[in-house]
Amino acid sequence: MDFTFSPEHQALRRMIREFAETEIAPIAAELDREHKVPLEIMRKLGEIGLLGVCFPQEYGGMGAGETGYCILMEELGRVCANTAVNVGAHIGIGAMCIHLDGTPEQKRKYLTPLARGEKIAAFGLTESNAGSDAANVRTRAVREGDSWILDGGKVYITNGGYADIITVMAVTDPALGARGGITAFVVETDSPGFKVAREEDKMGIRGSSTAELVFEELRVPHENVLGKVGEGFVTFMKSLDMGRLTLGAACLGGAQQLLEQSVYWAKTRRQFGEELAHKQAVQWMIANMATEIEALRSLVYRVAWLVDTGQPFTQLAAMCKLYGSEVLSRAVDMAIQIHGGLGLSRDFPIERAFRDARINEIFEGTNEVQRIVIASNIFREFGVRIRP
Amino acid sequence: MDFALSEEQRMFRDMFRNFAAKEVAPRAEEIDHAETLPKEMLRKAADQGFLGATIPEEYYGAALDNISYTLLLENLAASCASLAVTVAAHVSQVAMSILDFGTDAQKEEWLPALAGGEAIGAFALSEPDAGSDMLALETRARYEGDEVVLDGVKTWVTNGELAGLFLVFARGPQGMDAYLVPRDTPGLTVGYREPTLGLRSAYFNTIYLEGCRVPQNYRLGSPGEGEAIASRAVDRMAVALAAVGLGLAESSVDVAAQYSTERVQFGVPIGKKQAIQNYIANAYTETEALRYLVYRTAWLIDQGEDFSVEASAVKAFGARIARSVTNWMLQVLGGYGYMEDYPMARKYRDARVLGIIGGPTEVHTFRIARYILLQKDLEIVPRHQ
Amino acid sequence: MRIVVILGRMLDPRGIVVNPRAGRIFVNREEYILQPADRCALEAALRIKEAVGAEVVALPRTFLPDDDVLRQALAIGADRAIYIAGKPVALPDDGLMARVLLAAVERLGEVDLILTGATTMDTGQGQLGPRLAEALGWPQIVGAWTAEVADGSVRAVRQDGGGYVWVEASLPAVVTFVPGALKLRYPDGRRLINIYKGVGEIAAALERWEAKDLVAPEALTPLLERRGQDFPPERERGVRLSGSPEEIARAAADALRSRLPR
Repeated sequence: MDFTFSPEHQALRRMIREFAETEIAPIAAELDREHKVPLEIMRKLGEIGLLGVCFPQEYGGMGAGETGYCILMEELGRVCANTAVNVGAHIGIGAMCIHLDGTPEQKRKYLTPLARGEKIAAFGLTESNAGSDAANVRTRAVREGDSWILDGGKVYITNGGYADIITVMAVTDPALGARGGITAFVVETDSPGFKVAREEDKMGIRGSSTAELVFEELRVPHENVLGKVGEGFVTFMKSLDMGRLTLGAACLGGAQQLLEQSVYWAKTRRQFGEELAHKQAVQWMIANMATEIEALRSLVYRVAWLVDTGQPFTQLAAMCKLYGSEVLSRAVDMAIQIHGGLGLSRDFPIERAFRDARINEIFEGTNEVQRIVIASNIFREFGVRIRP
Repeated sequence: MDFALSEEQRMFRDMFRNFAAKEVAPRAEEIDHAETLPKEMLRKAADQGFLGATIPEEYYGAALDNISYTLLLENLAASCASLAVTVAAHVSQVAMSILDFGTDAQKEEWLPALAGGEAIGAFALSEPDAGSDMLALETRARYEGDEVVLDGVKTWVTNGELAGLFLVFARGPQGMDAYLVPRDTPGLTVGYREPTLGLRSAYFNTIYLEGCRVPQNYRLGSPGEGEAIASRAVDRMAVALAAVGLGLAESSVDVAAQYSTERVQFGVPIGKKQAIQNYIANAYTETEALRYLVYRTAWLIDQGEDFSVEASAVKAFGARIARSVTNWMLQVLGGYGYMEDYPMARKYRDARVLGIIGGPTEVHTFRIARYILLQKDLEIVPRHQ
Repeated sequence: MRIVVILGRMLDPRGIVVNPRAGRIFVNREEYILQPADRCALEAALRIKEAVGAEVVALPRTFLPDDDVLRQALAIGADRAIYIAGKPVALPDDGLMARVLLAAVERLGEVDLILTGATTMDTGQGQLGPRLAEALGWPQIVGAWTAEVADGSVRAVRQDGGGYVWVEASLPAVVTFVPGALKLRYPDGRRLINIYKGVGEIAAALERWEAKDLVAPEALTPLLERRGQDFPPERERGVRLSGSPEEIARAAADALRSRLPR
């Protein structure tokens, strides 16, 4: 066992932290207040290679592995939940499908510009009646010669409002259902028939685009089918596993930042003649936060190591998402309590963190779905099959 | 023991509920996003007598008992917690302080105006360096002949921008004093409004007192009685905020239960899933526990008993339950719960604020512990331990 | 054209906590960053490279326990980096390092420009550039904000009193930079991963030279030694004045007047 980061990962963290603190932290509040998507940040991240952090160098990536990707998400999560969400949707699920199941031609054509940040990706799974229930997709794709015609729509698509490339899940054979009847397509958003119907007004992550998309007779060439026809569900599930892990990493960064802010405030603010740090109620909150954060850190990087060494990780990725989102929610709750009135004010970052944190228990598969996944895997080992 | 509401109380409850549903609920999202409380909404509340809720009839109040008053706040909060908090500060913190400690002249001057909504009351206790710690107050009251000069800064003044009358706490020569300061008094300036996480239609302002001069007879109570007035007001507000928490909790359960019958996942309404059932059942149980704790505390007030400890208990519990219930119910709504065009996100944000305003949970917890330990002959103080 | 950039490292101040009450400094995280002024020098070198073409070679400003500084320079964009191994000395010693770096520059041959920081931010070393220029017999520009190369000379902007002036020197020359002078570029992710993993073409760009091969053993004797420490006498404490505002003002004025030079 070796729990130290390799020199390249230490250097990577130093580089990302410098970038995040110089370029992102100063504008994080403004992104939230003005509902601005940090496209300029995405472009700069791409320029220095970070949007290809975990992709191979032959396709414009950095080759820093899943560990490198987790470091990126942790450091982004520390300073700006919005950037973390946008980057997560771009790398972790949008481009990830192409990385996992794309042909070399598809990777050259699509993954390379995505890794360089020249194009932005999104992941088109959720529909109004198919959120956590991914198998309930209704968007239809019909073969017509060398193309497929897509009809339907997607909701709550992160990056949806401005993505150039969206990996879309559509039904190609209704009779077969999720296993065999669903196919993944690479859709270019400048194709005729693609429309952004609306942007959602969210409680948090207001510096990200969450869009409703409509496809009307959208023509996709057959060469844009990802993986095999009928196996899209598998592609998407594999990407979601990756996304879940790095969502946990972003939560880790967010929680760590809240801990540091709380410690700072507790040693500064005096009430009843002494600093809050001397109050046991506050000490308990700090101790609980710190303990959970360390447990989460161990979990996140252990799973990253599993991915990088080619071992199975689905079960633990679900735990990362579940535990990470809850650790962050508890941390932000305690941070507000320690900051008092300051924690409620939109002039200070804790309030934003509170609104931003809550989505993590919901998107990329609600925590209830993660629990179903985890329980099913455990029961399966004992011969019990769980149906959601 | 009798847990039933009286005929009259039930009638009031239905009236409050109808008012909230008709006048408040349809605009709740809109006013939250605009961060205003429309004057006409307050006007309508005043016309119904809500702004004089527990003020006696002789001062043109509605003379509600405290359980009915709780029902009022609960039902207003179910639609719009900001409005409920505005009314609560006006009635519980300001009007009732005047009723309890004011001279006949002060009561006659201010209570009818407050009851009719001609003046909204604001409570100015917290300061930048003294939130929960009353001994650390720095606002000064200097006696000059028949007048008193107030100097200091007050923060988180509920209703600040709306107010016609401020109840200001300041340190005088004989301890803490309380003063009734009309809005137009020279030297009183209403400043920055806190942009808050929740309760965005309520107003929390900083106010500045610079050589603010009022006659001696604007003092509420005798010199040095301010601390008693403040703690009484804090107690009443604690119960009122618990009622707001109850309204938030019960309406969230209602919204989420309805949604769980409509949202189909994995082929069935999610209400058929045990996890969702658990959330809703636990939320309901907690809400009902809170309901009877709030009603009982309101009943205690009506009995004329001391209710300080009960107030702290119900405030701390209410904030916790409102927080956990809105949190679970938001989870039931999933992505829809996170969107600002549905009420759930607002309720969730509003509920979190209850754990801080009116004294953070830690302060109320301390008050409860102090009471219990005193029964065992152990005296505790909030300093240096 | 060949540009040598000399770089050092310092403790990351974000890992340091100063406790004024205890009068102590705590190092919570022992992590190092490039000296900010040196990093400006590297940035200036890369800009000159982009403008007129050059090979940028990074050298260390002290004997370091590892080659992290040089790897960072390569990740940011240096073409070549040479780690000079030598026995670390107790005190920062620009005189000693100037001898070693002079030898290194001579061994490199055909160097047109040496860029480095005007001062280190932790220990305030500022002699390295001037000493090297003196030893090489080259012109030097100290405390530059920008530098550009054209027609066999280097032009730099430096602060002069309240304003800024252009200063020009013919090549070869030494230019030192003030910290914060330029907007810095970030490392390139792919170069960074490869140089730290030691893979790809970039791995060959990092060389190792031994100080003892560059200079005679006696040249490696430190120029500086610590002989003890001496503090100035403790300052007279202030007095607290009390009374009415008029009385306080009068007392303060009297006190100030008594200190005026006669």
